[in-house]
Amino acid sequence: MEQEHPFHVFSPAELGQLARLESADEANEYLYQILDIGQYMLQSGGEVSRVEDSIRRLCLSFGAERADVFTITSSIVVTIYAKHFGAVTQTRRITGSQNDLHRLELLNQLSRRICAERLSLEETCAALKELENVPQYSFGTQVFSYVLVSSSFSLFFGGSWLDAAAAGVIGVLLKCTDRLIRGTKANAFLSALLCSCLGGLLAGLAVKFRLGDNVEMISIGNIMLLIPGVALTNSLRDMFSGNTISGLMRCIEAVLLALTIAFGFALAAGLV
Amino acid sequence: MVYVMQLATAFLGSLGFAMVFHVRRERLLLASLGGLLAWGVYLLMGFFSDQDVVRYFFASVALTVYAETLARAVKCPATLFLITASIPLVPGGSLYRTMQFFMRNDLDAFSHQALTTVLLAVSIAVGMLFPTSVFQLLQRVRNPEPKKG
Repeated sequence: MEQEHPFHVFSPAELGQLARLESADEANEYLYQILDIGQYMLQSGGEVSRVEDSIRRLCLSFGAERADVFTITSSIVVTIYAKHFGAVTQTRRITGSQNDLHRLELLNQLSRRICAERLSLEETCAALKELENVPQYSFGTQVFSYVLVSSSFSLFFGGSWLDAAAAGVIGVLLKCTDRLIRGTKANAFLSALLCSCLGGLLAGLAVKFRLGDNVEMISIGNIMLLIPGVALTNSLRDMFSGNTISGLMRCIEAVLLALTIAFGFALAAGLV
Repeated sequence: MVYVMQLATAFLGSLGFAMVFHVRRERLLLASLGGLLAWGVYLLMGFFSDQDVVRYFFASVALTVYAETLARAVKCPATLFLITASIPLVPGGSLYRTMQFFMRNDLDAFSHQALTTVLLAVSIAVGMLFPTSVFQLLQRVRNPEPKKG
């Protein structure tokens, strides 16, 4: 009688399969991290084409033979393929984005570095953690930037010095409101409505009490802060460069936001 | 005098937006000079054409060349300069006025203004597209795609 083996011995075919599973696991880990980078890029205001390109390069540098990336503003889908692990797919839903060009620059640098130096999983993880601690402008500086934008555009469109001053003061209040609302994670349209309503009311009051000359000229400075002019232009740029879905989504978002803002100011004008 | 005022405020407005968009301190000046350049070209083009579409197009071409060149010189994404410097051009005011006419139920003015807004946005977008493609082409010629595997 033949004695049974105490351990199972793997046949070469089974061993091959195990190795495949193991490298598929590893590929999944890498892909997850690559998607992290892609997600952050998209959320800090990177263009769809840049995000797709970066993800593809990263995947190829990690040993994928083929990488298909599909990105729209709200989602990323990546499938990578290589002989030794087969096809691996991951999807990421993207919500909320806020232009942070400094972060985008750092992410871009990081992805270049990963491609060039083939950083390990741990190294990449550490580098991503570091990115979270990058200092941003203080609240005071951010308030100042709002004042600068409001006053500048009030003058730019032909307002008087008094209008510019009024727009600047309203800019401070808008920044504070924006911060309060952002803390509650409210809907973007609601926050735009509240900000524009407040802006319109204050501009109306400023003229009433002779602290400004022209409601329109005061408002335009504040409107430039809120209105998605850049988003509208970028949405067209997306469409022209072949990312039609992203472009359409951004375009509709921009138009709706502009409508909301106009509604807010109209509401305020009716009240004052 | 009006022009000087516009140029100065275009610069300051871009500077403000650069800060809103968290552009880091060392890049602030370069980014906002782009806004000044864009508006400068727009005003200059006034001597050659009174069509806003044409003026916006050339301003946007100039600004994109500026942004792409700088991006390569200081090694950072061109978007950083492109977004901040396009602020004076971007038809925010026009977009707002469009919606304002819509709210007032003035459909004639609305359709006219909407057309203007779209045309301006298109001329800026196309103006940006053109130099960007050329720069990408040059890059692809100089260093081809990474090898697979």
